Amino acid sequence: MATRPDSTKTGPGRLLVAVYGLFALSASARAGVQIATKFSHAPVAYLLSAFAGVVYILATVTLANGSQTARRIAVVSCSVELAGVLAVGTWSLVDRATFPDATVWSGYGSGYGFVPLVLPVFGLLWLRRWSRRAGARRTIAPSERDMAR
Amino acid sequence: MSSVNGAVPTTIIVAGLALAGYALLMTALNRRVGFVLLAALGVLEILLLVLVGLIVARLVGGGRPASLATLIGYLIAMPIVPVVAGFWGAIERSRWGPAVYAAAGVVAAVLMVRLHEIWPAIRV
Repeated sequence: MATRPDSTKTGPGRLLVAVYGLFALSASARAGVQIATKFSHAPVAYLLSAFAGVVYILATVTLANGSQTARRIAVVSCSVELAGVLAVGTWSLVDRATFPDATVWSGYGSGYGFVPLVLPVFGLLWLRRWSRRAGARRTIAPSERDMAR
Repeated sequence: MSSVNGAVPTTIIVAGLALAGYALLMTALNRRVGFVLLAALGVLEILLLVLVGLIVARLVGGGRPASLATLIGYLIAMPIVPVVAGFWGAIERSRWGPAVYAAAGVVAAVLMVRLHEIWPAIRV
């Protein structure tokens, strides 16, 4: 079997995609159950929970894809995710009435061991490493062509 | 009506944490996923399937948790996670394959504890 080229989904990315996938599943399922069974109880919180699920799904798929376009989308996704966990975390602490039930980003992800808080940081750092690697390849490529002539 | 045996949930937590500990050791030692890790994951999966069977039996017998939808979500997710993680980690050529198995072990233990919180009839 030919070896696949490295991408955002290999090496440490293997663990990153796995964790993102777990959160994609967990956040989406939790939001789905909340919206389906007791939406009127906390509509804002549950909709934010569903939004978080969508962001996690997007991050998982784009990080697993690894193409340049996918990486760009992943950067946006992880940035939105980081902003989201900080914003919703703060909001959930100052306005408890809007968040009677915990969601994945409530309390900065305290219900999930604060993994939602650090995950986007790792995601962005990983993506930055890859954009640097891609940038270096672009400057190396012309001289490789020269040598092949 | 018999309660779900407390031994199975406890064993799942122990197996999940043991898998995670061994997998983290393999990651630290810079080793790929090998037979022992696959076997440990397989044991965890079998335990989870047994658990699902016991819970379904209790539901058929008439027991109900506070949120049936949430419970069913867990019953579907808990056996699937190790299988998907198993493949995902096995195709990784580096030390990060076992790291995926460690995550799966931790998740199994955490979900087991959460399952007990969702339906205290499932004793830990």
